[in-house]
Amino acid sequence: MSVSTSQALDYLEQLPVQTHRKLYEQPSTVLAIFRCMLPHLAKSIVMGMLYMPTPISSPDLDAWFRPSAAKLKRSSLEILEKLHIVSQKQLDAVKHTAFTLSPGFAKSLRQALEGSGTHRSFGVPAPPTSARKVSVAELDDYARIQWESILFYMVGSTVGFHGGGGMARDIGKGTRSLLEAGDFVGKKFGGGVGITRTGFMFVLQDTNAQVWSLLIEYLKHVNQLGMSETDVLSFLFMLGSLELGQDYSTSTLSPTQLQMLIDLTAFGLVYRTSENASTFYPTRLATTLTSDSGALSATNNPHDHAPAPSGGATQKGFIIVETNYRIYAYTSSLLQIAVLSLFCKLTTRFPNLVSGKLTRASISRAVQTGISADQILSYLDSHAHPQMQKSVPFLPPTVTDQIRLWELEGERLECTDGYMLREFPSDKDYRDMVKYAEDLGVLVWKDDGERKFFVNRIEQMQEALKKQGQRRAR
Amino acid sequence: MVKAVRGTLVKCDASIKAMLVDIDSKNNNDFIIEELDEEHMLVKETKVNALKNRLQQMMKDRLKDPTIDEDSGKE
Repeated sequence: MSVSTSQALDYLEQLPVQTHRKLYEQPSTVLAIFRCMLPHLAKSIVMGMLYMPTPISSPDLDAWFRPSAAKLKRSSLEILEKLHIVSQKQLDAVKHTAFTLSPGFAKSLRQALEGSGTHRSFGVPAPPTSARKVSVAELDDYARIQWESILFYMVGSTVGFHGGGGMARDIGKGTRSLLEAGDFVGKKFGGGVGITRTGFMFVLQDTNAQVWSLLIEYLKHVNQLGMSETDVLSFLFMLGSLELGQDYSTSTLSPTQLQMLIDLTAFGLVYRTSENASTFYPTRLATTLTSDSGALSATNNPHDHAPAPSGGATQKGFIIVETNYRIYAYTSSLLQIAVLSLFCKLTTRFPNLVSGKLTRASISRAVQTGISADQILSYLDSHAHPQMQKSVPFLPPTVTDQIRLWELEGERLECTDGYMLREFPSDKDYRDMVKYAEDLGVLVWKDDGERKFFVNRIEQMQEALKKQGQRRAR
Repeated sequence: MVKAVRGTLVKCDASIKAMLVDIDSKNNNDFIIEELDEEHMLVKETKVNALKNRLQQMMKDRLKDPTIDEDSGKE
């Protein structure tokens, strides 16, 4: 599971039961969630239970795990329960509980695996016509140009490039207001827009994570636009299962989804030959939504090593960092120069090269606006010039250490929101609860002497405390 | 009965903690709920940002930043 999909998982977890139930009616959604949202252990649990006619009792389930893996098991079940994939039922009196797979989820997953049913949820390929098909390379180009203009809109306005180099295409009003609503850009004094803290983080993520961030923002606003969240989500998951280079018919789509197509076309996730064409092509941005392989930047496919004329996210390896903090970037892409200038002090620009320096001031400015040292380092690392890649690690250790130190200077406080639990009646109660919190992974700080501890999430602790209280009363 | 107190756990160096405690005592103990140990304290959730700002202000006043001169000297 990558960073990008964990974002989507967080979003999914907070949806209500009803939405989950409706989502699980679509086999493509179920397969996508199963494929890329669940941790491996959760997958095994689901697989084990998929063809089971009756609920499985908790002792039976426990028998599947080594005692040492109790923590892992609990966290997997927790995810499954949050997504309402597995539900727990009290069987009798006290201890016995049984787990069942949500019937809707089970049915759809079985359909997806067996290819049964007539659900058409994996998209309907358009009938072959004499019209020329759009090639994969063209789709990639389209997706990249659209996506980069969004990025450039965010970055360019901040660093003060305006409309130069043909990069700053108009990105459409809808996208602009979405970026503002998501707090990726904010209004600056004097009417222009400027990138925000969230926006910085957004720009330095890999493309796949960026797409998810934007889509999640989109999802948060669909209700205001009068679209159904479920429809939107299942369409996104469907896109993830489509094939690149194939055109699909729009005839099976709901009105909401047709509306979405227009927005997704603006993002570059979908390509349509004309505004009311009866078919659409998913681009690489869309088809990699629910897989771990990178979007755009990873052009592993031998068929599409098309040179990237405008540079951008597709070009790999152009940055050289020296031990004296000087930095040379072989690029003419305004987007990349703009990104670099977020955390470097750039001094000179040549037709194919910019050079500058990483300084304490430039790093701490970046840190103050919300970019972490790790983000900067991973950006430099993943774009290191092939010459740099000959040494391991790619970046000079002195530079990486120094960037981290510069970051630490700004960050003096480490804050965690949560709850302090105290006044436990007995030492045993305290120890049980601390252990429980530790297993759940919510324990942040504890003081054994004073019998108190701090957790960053309280919901499950409350349940456990209630149970403990009942036991004591009995 | 077990009690749960909502708040923000703040982890910092002992030296920074001393400054925070100082800020707190000069403001009617409006920020800190409880000092826990050398490096931890429990702070009112709504006041964390205000506390951070005060700390930054205090650091600016009290500590001289050597690189500001150095940086401007170089350029």
